[in-house]
Amino acid sequence: MNETAIKFTNFHYGYINSDIILHNINLDVRKGSFTIISGPSGAGKTTLCKAMAGIIPYYYGGRYAGDVEVLGVTTKGKRVSDLAMRIGLMLDDYESQLVSLTAGEEIAFSLLNHGFAAEEVEARTKQVLMDVGLPGRENYQLDELSGGQRQRLLLASVLAVHPEVLVLDEPVSAMDPDGANALYKLLYKIYKEYNMTVVVVEHNINFLLPYVTDMIVMNKGRVAAQGFFEEAAAMTYAIPELRRNLPELWQVKLNLEQRFGISLRAWRKEAEALEELKEKFVGGALG
Amino acid sequence: MKITAFTQLITVLAVTTWVFLLPVPAVAIILVLELALLLYIKHDRLTMAAIGALTVFTGMMILLQLIFGSPLSVSLTGGLRMFVMTTAFLCLLAATKIQDIAQALVEKFHLPCEYAFMLTTALRFVPDFLTDSATTLDAQSCRGYSNRGNVFKRFYSYLAVVKPLVMRAVAKSDTLALSMELKGFGANTYQNMTPQRLCFADYLVLFLVMLLSLYPLWSKYI
Amino acid sequence: MIEAKAVNFAYHRGEPVINDITCKIEDGEFVALLGHNGSGKTTLSRLFMALVHPRSGDIFVDGDNIEKLEPADLAHQVGYVFQNPDLQILEDTVFAEVAYGPRCKKLSETAIKEQVQAALQAMGLENLADAYPRTLSFGQKRRLGVAAALALNPRTLILDEITNGQDEQEKDDMMDYLQKLNKEKRITIILITHDMNIARQYAKRAIVLNDGNLVFDGTTQDLYNGVRDLKEWGLTQPIMAILSAAFIISAPTVEDFCEKLCLKEGGER
Repeated sequence: MNETAIKFTNFHYGYINSDIILHNINLDVRKGSFTIISGPSGAGKTTLCKAMAGIIPYYYGGRYAGDVEVLGVTTKGKRVSDLAMRIGLMLDDYESQLVSLTAGEEIAFSLLNHGFAAEEVEARTKQVLMDVGLPGRENYQLDELSGGQRQRLLLASVLAVHPEVLVLDEPVSAMDPDGANALYKLLYKIYKEYNMTVVVVEHNINFLLPYVTDMIVMNKGRVAAQGFFEEAAAMTYAIPELRRNLPELWQVKLNLEQRFGISLRAWRKEAEALEELKEKFVGGALG
Repeated sequence: MKITAFTQLITVLAVTTWVFLLPVPAVAIILVLELALLLYIKHDRLTMAAIGALTVFTGMMILLQLIFGSPLSVSLTGGLRMFVMTTAFLCLLAATKIQDIAQALVEKFHLPCEYAFMLTTALRFVPDFLTDSATTLDAQSCRGYSNRGNVFKRFYSYLAVVKPLVMRAVAKSDTLALSMELKGFGANTYQNMTPQRLCFADYLVLFLVMLLSLYPLWSKYI
Repeated sequence: MIEAKAVNFAYHRGEPVINDITCKIEDGEFVALLGHNGSGKTTLSRLFMALVHPRSGDIFVDGDNIEKLEPADLAHQVGYVFQNPDLQILEDTVFAEVAYGPRCKKLSETAIKEQVQAALQAMGLENLADAYPRTLSFGQKRRLGVAAALALNPRTLILDEITNGQDEQEKDDMMDYLQKLNKEKRITIILITHDMNIARQYAKRAIVLNDGNLVFDGTTQDLYNGVRDLKEWGLTQPIMAILSAAFIISAPTVEDFCEKLCLKEGGER
C-alpha cells in the first residue's frame, strides 16, 4: 500500500528565461496528512504547488530535472486535466479560476468536460454545494456571491471530481481573520469527511495550528525542513532566520525548551499552552 | 413560449436582411415591435440606458450622412435601418443567456469552441475589469490628477487607465487559461452539454421568418 | 489633522455603511483603523480622502471642510495607498511612477527630481529608479505605492492593508519604513489592517469600527491588553498579549516573553 501521496525525487525547475527556482527537491507528502508549506516569499512555494499538479514543467515549459509522482504515478506525459481528477489545485488568484457565470455551471464544467452524465452532474453539484455551505445556490450568478462565497464555490468545483489530494496556495490572503478561520474549519471538515490529503501554502500558521499534521519549510528554492509538524518545527527553529515562519506559540515553546532544557507538550491551542505554562512557569525578570 | 437560442439567432440575422428587403413602413413596424418586446422582457435602468445610447448613436449617424450630402429621406432611412438592426441584437441579449447563445453558435453554426467561450468569458470578467478600472482611476485622482474640466480631459484620463488594465487582463487570462485547461475545456465542452432541442414554437417562428424573408418573391402578388 | 463630525454614509440606495462617526486624528499620530470586513474602515478612509462624500456630517482636513473637494485637491496634504499595488502602477519606470504626482501638479523639473529622490530614499528604492515597476517583487511594489504617495510631501498617509500577503520579514521592513516616516518626519500614519500584531507593535492609537459604528477609540495597548473580549467586533487578541497578560508581564515579542519567565519551584534545569 502506497503511503505517499506526492513524491519529489531530485526535482529541479526553472521557468523559461528565468533562473532555477527549485533546487534538488526531495519530498514525501504523506497520504492522509494535512501538510503546511511555509517559508519566506520567493522561496518557491507556489512553484512547488504547481509542480504537484503537473502544471510544471509540462504546461509552462522551462528546464527541469528529476521526477514528481502523485499517488504513485509520475506526472510526466499526463494531461493536466486528467491529473486534476486526482489532485485538485486552488491558486491564490481564485477569482480568475472561476470561468462560468453561475455557481451550478462552474461546478458542472469539469464534470461535463470529462463526460459525466447529466444526472450524475446534478447530484454531485447538489452535494458539493452542501458540503461547502452554499446549499441550493446552483442558479446564483457569480456577482451575487461575496468574495468568501466565491472561494468556497471554487473549492466546491475542485471537489466535485472527487480528487484524493487537495493543494491550496495561500487561500486566505485576502480575508479577514474570521473569514480565514471559517475557511480552514470548512477545509478540515472536508479533509476528515472524505479522507483526503491536504496541502496548504500559508504564511500565518496560527490559523492552521489546530489541524496541521506535517510541515514543509522552503527557503530559497530548497527544502529546509520536512516531516511531522513537531519535528519540522524543531528543525526550522534551529535555523534562526526561519524562526519567524513558525507560529508564535511554537516559537515560545522551542525557545523555552532550549532555554531551560525542559520538554513541553505539542500545543495546538492557546488554552493548552497557557495551561502548561502556568503549571511550570511564573512571571518575573530573571533574577 | 420558449424558443431556443438558435431560432433567436436566425431571427436576428433575418431582421438584418429585412431592413433592406422590406418597405420602410414595414421596417418601422418591426422597430415598434422590437422595442415593445425589449421593454416587455426587461425594463430596468440598464436597458433604458442602452436604448438611449443607441438613439444617440443613430442620431449621430443621420447627422453624419446629412453632412456628407445625403438627402434627408436617405439619411433617415439609413438611420432607421441601423437602429432596427442594433435593437434586434439588444433583444437577443435580453431574451437569452449568453451561455445558450454560445452553445448554439458551436452546435449549429460550428463556431470553434474557443471563440464561443469568449462570449461567456467577456461577460464573466467585464464587471471585474470595470471595478479594477475604477480603482485605477481613484489612484490617479489620489496622486493629483484632476478629473474636473472638459470631456477631452476626462477621456484622456480613461486612456491612461488602459495600460494597467491590459497588464492585469494578461495576468488574469493566464490563470484563466490554466484553469480551463485543468477543468478539461475542449471540443467536448459543448458536445457534452444538454442539446437545445427545437420545439413547435421554434418551427413556427422559423417558418414565419422564412416567409418574411421571401418577401421579394411574393410581394408582387399583393 | 483629519476630523470627522457626525458622519453618515451609504452607497447609492444601499444599507448605511457609516453611522454617525465622530473622531479626530491629530498631526503626527500613528493610528490603526481596525474592524472586520465590511465594518466600514475602508469607507471611512475613502471619506477622509474625498473619494466619496458623506450623506450628512462633515469631514475636515487641516481645518478645511472637504465636501466640495476631490482627491486631487487633497493629494498634497493626504497620501492614499490602495491595497493592490498592480492597480496603481501608471508609468514605465519607478522614477516616472513616483514623479506622477509632482508632474500632475506641474512642479518644476528640479523640484520634481528632488521630491522623487527624497521619496525613493525614504522607502529604500533609490537604487531601483530606472527599473520597470512590474519586475519588482511584491514587497517592493508595495513600497513603490507608498513612495508615489510621498512624492507630494503629504502630512498624512492612509494605507489600506499594506502588509497583506507578505512574509514576516517584508512586513517588518515596511513597518520600519513607516515608523521612520512617523518619527523622523512627523507624518501622520493611518493604517487600515487586520494584522493585530502589527497594530499592537507599531500603532499608538486604535480606532475600531463594527458594522459602521465606532466602538473603540483609544490606545492599542488598551485594546490589545490580552484580556478584553474582541470577538463581537470580529477581532482577536494577539497571542503574545494573551500570554503576557496571563503572567502579568509586559512582553511584546516572543524573546521578551521567554526572558521574563522563570521555572517554578521544583522545575528542573
